[in-house]
Amino acid sequence: MNDATDVRPKGSHSAGHGADTASAGPAADSRGTGMRRILDRETRSSRAGVSGIAAVLVVLLCGYGLLEAAVRAIGQPPWLIDPETAAERIVALPQGIPPLLLGVIGAVTAMVGLFFFLNAVLPGRRARHLLSDPRAGVVVDDEVIASALARRARLAANVTPEQVMVVVSQRQVTVSVRPTSGVPVSENAVLASVLEELREMAPAPMPEVRVSVATSGVIGA
Amino acid sequence: MNNTPRVLNRILIGILGLKLLVIGLLLVTLATVPAAGPWWQQWSAGVWSGMSQLFQHTGVPGREESWLWAVLALLLVGVIAAMIAWVAQQGKGRSGLIVAEDDAGDFPGNVRIGGGVAEQALRAALAERQDLAGAMVATYEIRGEPALKIRLQPRHGVAPHLLAADVSALVEALDAVVGKRTPVLIHISAGARSRFSRAERVR
Repeated sequence: MNDATDVRPKGSHSAGHGADTASAGPAADSRGTGMRRILDRETRSSRAGVSGIAAVLVVLLCGYGLLEAAVRAIGQPPWLIDPETAAERIVALPQGIPPLLLGVIGAVTAMVGLFFFLNAVLPGRRARHLLSDPRAGVVVDDEVIASALARRARLAANVTPEQVMVVVSQRQVTVSVRPTSGVPVSENAVLASVLEELREMAPAPMPEVRVSVATSGVIGA
Repeated sequence: MNNTPRVLNRILIGILGLKLLVIGLLLVTLATVPAAGPWWQQWSAGVWSGMSQLFQHTGVPGREESWLWAVLALLLVGVIAAMIAWVAQQGKGRSGLIVAEDDAGDFPGNVRIGGGVAEQALRAALAERQDLAGAMVATYEIRGEPALKIRLQPRHGVAPHLLAADVSALVEALDAVVGKRTPVLIHISAGARSRFSRAERVR
């Protein structure tokens, strides 16, 4: 016997606000000069960590090169490898090393390079939204928005916190509700309450809302 | 909020990434494409012979070692110093003042108000709130102008816009006390403290 007769067929209602409130308008001036710039910087990654890794990498490579060059300059025997021998080995490259090892070294180097390159090129947007405020610039982590919306959806659906999951991304909010067996959950009521909360919150950019109610219920919740 | 040099970060990371990418792809090509071997040996042998000739022509009188090694060592020291300077630039910009200006009165001198004033006042005002798991206040200097950053960690399910409105009202009260409007950033974040703490009970 299927307990889920009370649950509506699975499907997702969607409702969205196309209005993009990314431009704060004239209010930006009252919050002090440079607030626009501060908010822009707060919603993007600074790449400080990746920069640190890159700098350490370059310092290590240069440190080794420095050691060998200094040893060579004062006429001492080399530490690991003589620079000239190293250069000759590089010139003769496909020989002198198993091709598999060479290929793996090359692949790893290329992956590391790709990691740094993509970090430099991609926008690096953080999972944050802006709220409008007359006095201060307000940045909210998406997780906080999600937990606020989850609370609202939970109250509308009358279920326990474990039965609601909300995922907030830049342009979309996904609310999934697992109803209690035998207790109907109105998808429209959940959608309406989440939309109302979002309208009061007015995050920029305004995401679309999707509500999906699971077809199977939870027993004993 | 801080003065991390973001464009510089991007440029330097991009240069390093491109170099590593090219070297890696070259190695993979050498390992997999047989025709690449002779081409590489011919090209790099030309470059290497040019360099070794240069090293031979630049010998120190009386010794066989080239002074180019010393130049190379100095160059590497320079690169290492530049890297350390770059890392030191990350996250800079904290300052201790929310107001630092000439009050244009009859007496010479500046008026300076420390960031501790804002920090203590806001902390005391926020301490009684049950819906916060933590709050931090820090002062920064952005392009020579002081600015305030308030980081709030609400408990689960707290509506961020209501919290922001409350804190914004506190900031306006602080404005009235200090007598100057500094730029304020309120960051409502989900940290580990709010994630593992209990949810707010009043619902």
